Amino acid sequence: MNANPRDVLSGTHYIDGDVASGFGALAAGCKFIAGYPITPSTEAAEAFARVAYKGNAMFIQMEDELASVSAVVGAVWSGVKSMTITSGPGYSLMMETFGFAAMLETPMVLLNIQRGGPSTGVPTKTGQADIMQSRWGSHGDYEIIAFAPESPQELFDYTVKAFNLAERYRCPVMIMSDECVGHMTEKVVIPAADRIEIEPRRFFKGQPGQYSPFKPDDDLVPPMAKAGDGYNLYISGRAHNDQGMPYTNEEFKLRCIRRLVDKIKKNKEKIIELREENTKDAEVVVVAYGISSRVAVRGIELAREKGIKVGQLRLVTIWPFPDERIAELSQTAKAFVVPEINYGQIAFEVDRCAHGRSNVVLVPHGGAGVHNPDDICDAIEYAVKHKEPLEGVHEYKTRLERKVFEEKMRIAE
Amino acid sequence: MEAVKTTAAHEIHPMENVLRMDRIPHIWCPGCGIGIAVTAFAAALEKANIDLNKVAIVSGIGCTGRVAGYVKLDSFHTTHGRAIAFATGIKVASPDMKVVVFSGDGDLIAIGGNHFIHAARRNIDMLVVCVNNFIYAMTGGQVAPTTPLAAYATTCPFGCVEPPFNIPYLADSSGAVYVARWTALHVRRLTNSFVEALNKKGLSVVEVISPCAQYYSRINRLGDGLDMMRFYHDNSEIRHGEDTKNLDIGFQQKIIMGKFVDRERPSYTDRYQDWLKQRKVGM
Amino acid sequence: MNPLVTAFKKGFERSGIKPSRISMPSDVLFEPEVVKDLGVDYFHVTRGRAIAFGTGLKLANPALRVVAVAGDLMTIGGNHFVHGGRRNMEVLVICINNYVYRKIAGKTAPLVTVKFSPYSTFEEPFNIPHLGNSCGAIYTARWTALHIEELAESIAHGLTKRGLAVIEVLVPGPDYYNGIGTWRDELVKFYHENSEKRDGEMPRNVGITGESKIIVGEFTDKEMPPFIDTYNKQLSAVLKDKFTPYGQTNGGQNG
Repeated sequence: MNANPRDVLSGTHYIDGDVASGFGALAAGCKFIAGYPITPSTEAAEAFARVAYKGNAMFIQMEDELASVSAVVGAVWSGVKSMTITSGPGYSLMMETFGFAAMLETPMVLLNIQRGGPSTGVPTKTGQADIMQSRWGSHGDYEIIAFAPESPQELFDYTVKAFNLAERYRCPVMIMSDECVGHMTEKVVIPAADRIEIEPRRFFKGQPGQYSPFKPDDDLVPPMAKAGDGYNLYISGRAHNDQGMPYTNEEFKLRCIRRLVDKIKKNKEKIIELREENTKDAEVVVVAYGISSRVAVRGIELAREKGIKVGQLRLVTIWPFPDERIAELSQTAKAFVVPEINYGQIAFEVDRCAHGRSNVVLVPHGGAGVHNPDDICDAIEYAVKHKEPLEGVHEYKTRLERKVFEEKMRIAE
Repeated sequence: MEAVKTTAAHEIHPMENVLRMDRIPHIWCPGCGIGIAVTAFAAALEKANIDLNKVAIVSGIGCTGRVAGYVKLDSFHTTHGRAIAFATGIKVASPDMKVVVFSGDGDLIAIGGNHFIHAARRNIDMLVVCVNNFIYAMTGGQVAPTTPLAAYATTCPFGCVEPPFNIPYLADSSGAVYVARWTALHVRRLTNSFVEALNKKGLSVVEVISPCAQYYSRINRLGDGLDMMRFYHDNSEIRHGEDTKNLDIGFQQKIIMGKFVDRERPSYTDRYQDWLKQRKVGM
Repeated sequence: MNPLVTAFKKGFERSGIKPSRISMPSDVLFEPEVVKDLGVDYFHVTRGRAIAFGTGLKLANPALRVVAVAGDLMTIGGNHFVHGGRRNMEVLVICINNYVYRKIAGKTAPLVTVKFSPYSTFEEPFNIPHLGNSCGAIYTARWTALHIEELAESIAHGLTKRGLAVIEVLVPGPDYYNGIGTWRDELVKFYHENSEKRDGEMPRNVGITGESKIIVGEFTDKEMPPFIDTYNKQLSAVLKDKFTPYGQTNGGQNG
């Protein structure tokens, strides 16, 4: 169905990524955001607070992130689309309830504008070091969907898409953006409401008494109900059967968790989104996401000028990870180069999927800045020239690392 | 133009022994009252004649949270809202240390609310200085649990819709033994309160009403830091011993200051020692 | 738990609100049969977050009536309680407080009990009605597991309050319901002998100490504008015609 015109601020805007995400949430039909200020994501909450009344939605600033995410899960079970917005430290706080939402198959969106970490880190600068946390952050087994937008326009588009996928697969969805994209001001075109597809919640249509909150349809996704409609819901985070009743029996637990995992795994093909360029006969494939993929474009340009056949694989969805595509590419490409603003997270996934067939070169970055495209170009050159198989993921020494650690230059304040 | 070279001996600022001079100049804005709170605190440390080696200062996140970084004591810049929890750990593990928590209204009362009321209930022996500027300044001017009704902030762009906390009332009803409030204007009284609180056993809470020229007063069109100080001068009233439930601060309303609570209750460490003795365990 | 469930059931019935309208986020585990019997929507939430969850439920659908049952109101959940009170969120909070009294050498004293209780022999417990009242709760009451009739009345009344209402219920620890014989009689007798009903008492004075009797009753009962009303009032004043008041402001009272 199409978005409601009153929710959509159609037009050409010149806004930053955070604000674009806030507008995207409204356009997607989000009616409730509970948040807590944290640099660099606060602008998204502020933007939604400014426009919420247009869509008869509400923004509330809760007392902390723990309350924010709990309120969001509550709001979803009250029948509305809901989202919360945070960054590193808040993200860690939200993990318990995120796992709770995953167990209850609660469709919600969590926007994480990553910053330099760990702990307080560098709040005002970029980072991409929460990627593994997005996959494994909460305890227990579950699968998630995570996007990595690379521009304010994509932050708008993929916020809408995140809500849609959350409803379609009845699971929490993460948007793993970073401070650079979140604070980047660019042109964002918000189309007319009838050009925005939004997915309505799949509500159960039968009689009370017949409803099982976790009984799946054919696509492994159960229809949802909401509080107040007489369904006498029993919703508990304990391992449960289709009716939601807790069982400690091994068989039931297996069925419960297996379906949580399969729901995403078996629908992988429909969920994964990649952007490929020149990967078909590439010698080196650069695998990147978020702001790093934009910086990589320049690095690839420089490498191509030197005659190297480089392709780019951009991960628009990071999770579920495109195992098959990487495995496929590893048959033809000599090496993968993975620039990311951390000391290796997706690089290890790539290495796992390449399974020794291609080398994997990581171009790391400690955070609080983006890569130097020259480093990416050099890493590509290195990857092409290095014929012998490399053991594991090889970390390429960037100019910054050399400057800081080898040339023993004094770091100015 | 060449800098003027001074031939006088290196001038020593009276607070140099308490400040980390290599970190000065600080990051606080012109018109901010946090620096005044730090000055009063430094003066109080001197007046109370406390061994600076035995003082630990713990701050959270926020503008006031930066205080620990500028003060030459055992400083801890901890995670958001958890300053009191950290300080509790320091105090229980080293009962001889004087522990001071210096943080802002958002850090202590919003995310740190739970730790605040529990510390007061347990009567942990420490001083909590809460600098209240009615807003989340560090992150850009969002609403705080102390922002008055109808005041503006970035996350309540049409005015605040939640009644604010009255910090002395919250502290008092949770069990704090010393509760006082002053504004950044009343430096000497503030210093004296700090001295009293530092010498008191149990949880003391001193609230410092501070201007925030960059966010709170700018967003609400209240002028700059000096205008706020003038406002405090004309609209504050001292009422020692006032019942803490009457101390609400409305938007641009009268501010009641003074020492409201000063009572005795056994502190956490005292009780713990007694309990251990009862079980005949040496400590 | 059984007498409590009876109190809940009676309270819901007497309030006149349809059970299907009532949502119960709770960190206390209720068995499925109990929930079926009560007829409400039950959410077994993470420890301490019942009120935060209830805030989300209520704000997203103001027509719901939310009863947050908190086993852990004050340890992990303390922050949500005080802020919920400040906002005057329309949530009825029932705190199942199971710190156990036990005779030690003839003198009664509050004792460390269940794992997550904040109380131990050298700490003073929270005076929940006083804290709630000072944070803005509009209805505060306390009963014990003996006062089932009064509890039901309180629940019925609390459900109709437009704001944060808190009812503290002192119950014996789990052993009581596992039927460990001597405790059962002792505790019943204890509550009977040591509780004193004082409606309208000032919350400041109802702290539970070892020395005095446990004071039960309805302590405060006032009216203050709930969160949604304040929200609507403020935004209407600023946005005027552009703003549609949020939610049904009198939702749920008529079932």
